Amino acid sequence: MLTIKGLEVRYGAIAAVRGVDLEIKRGEIVALLGANGAGKSTIARSIAGLLPFQGEIALEGDKLVPNNAEKNLRRGIALVPEGRGILARMTVYENLQMGIYTRSDTSAASADVEKMLERFPILGQRRDGLASLLSGGEQQMLAIARALLSKPKLLLLDEPSLGLAPLMTASLFQMIAQFRDEGLTVLLVEQKARQTLKIVDRAYLLETGRVVTSGSAQALINDPTLSEAFLGGGH
Amino acid sequence: MSTYYASLLAESGILLLGALSVYIILATGQLSLGNGAFMGIGAYLSSWLTVTMNVPLTLALVISAIFAGVIGAIVAFPALRLKGIYLAMATVGFGEMVRSFFLNFDTMGGAGGFRGMQHVGVGTIWLWAGGILIAVMLLERSRVWLEMQAVHDDETAAGLIGLNTVVTKISAFAAGAAVAAISGGLFAHHNVYIEPANFGFERSVEFVLAVILGGSTVAPGSLVGSLLLIFLPEFLRPIADWRLAAFGSLLVLVLLVRRQGILDRNLLRMMTFRRAAA
Repeated sequence: MLTIKGLEVRYGAIAAVRGVDLEIKRGEIVALLGANGAGKSTIARSIAGLLPFQGEIALEGDKLVPNNAEKNLRRGIALVPEGRGILARMTVYENLQMGIYTRSDTSAASADVEKMLERFPILGQRRDGLASLLSGGEQQMLAIARALLSKPKLLLLDEPSLGLAPLMTASLFQMIAQFRDEGLTVLLVEQKARQTLKIVDRAYLLETGRVVTSGSAQALINDPTLSEAFLGGGH
Repeated sequence: MSTYYASLLAESGILLLGALSVYIILATGQLSLGNGAFMGIGAYLSSWLTVTMNVPLTLALVISAIFAGVIGAIVAFPALRLKGIYLAMATVGFGEMVRSFFLNFDTMGGAGGFRGMQHVGVGTIWLWAGGILIAVMLLERSRVWLEMQAVHDDETAAGLIGLNTVVTKISAFAAGAAVAAISGGLFAHHNVYIEPANFGFERSVEFVLAVILGGSTVAPGSLVGSLLLIFLPEFLRPIADWRLAAFGSLLVLVLLVRRQGILDRNLLRMMTFRRAAA
């Protein structure tokens, strides 16, 4: 579904991503793992159209134009950014309404907002409350629900567990695992490697902008050559 | 009503329009400290149209608003690369540029000012001010306002939702400039004399102050702020020389207690609820 060839991203003189090749098949949950500064978020932001890049990113064979988030969303790529991107002065309902902004099937989209409020009951209870008053976990749910409302083919989740309590992280990961049953394709950017590998199909490990290893989640967990440096955190 | 109070009321109506011009731009997270300049453009252009070209006032105000809106959109383009204090400083620079242009523009009187306009009363001013306030309040209930709020809250997230944040920010700047121009046109035709000093940095700050004091999250906040800024110093006259110091202290106190200004969504909702219950 998504193929990346020779991706290079620079922040001025600094090369954040250097020659990354990556592939995600339809319905897969794939993880990008690595420490801070490894280039994981930069790759996700490049796919979403938030950054200029060199190399090739293609969705279902169509090459993506760099730095065009609006077009990429309309093509079916939704990113839940690091920090959640909640629209703080809006209510929960208004945030969800913004999720259907690009959809032309207005009445079906409005019905989907109601369904989303049923799917996430805590959001339903806080429907008219300000989004800024939600807890971190609830805000993450809102951000994911809003992204799902655009009916994405590919959902990019950038460090969704950041700042969440362990229990909330566990329930979030459980929810992400369920996306597989819905046929949604997911790219999950995470630092909590062991926990992530339990729910994804495959993973790429990054270090200083390069892919150092990749493979099925099971193979990566069992690989004795992978040091604690990669899989040490996130029990 | 005495001429004195009618004059204060007219001033507050003009200030309300200026405050709304800032409020519209602020709704997208951009702070303009140059709206005095857009007011000046509206004042000079509408005065020239009515005095020299004999254009009716209403048409002159509309033309001035459109012209200032276009200038606002042009100013907004380079401003897109700036945020926060840097954007505010850039708009200060624009304001000073416009003021010095009129200072040297002899066709419109230069430093000596421009006169000859037909006087408009407080009724006409409040017809415009009230009408535009209602229009902004209606806009607040629309999808367009949600888009503006989204850009204010998180520009990156707004882009990820599929909003064209550039168009939203430029449109807000253009609309704000147009409203400031109407404020300027009414100011010119109320005072029947204008000079570049009327539209300097102090004027822009006064607009921002009215929004911050009255409430920067709801349009009626601009109304509260404008009335307070004009009438409160007058009510404090019994304390003579201390009135400005007292007014300043009151201002600081309000901002310390209510950072969002006097009026906000919750207070407005409570007031509406009580009125409905009564």
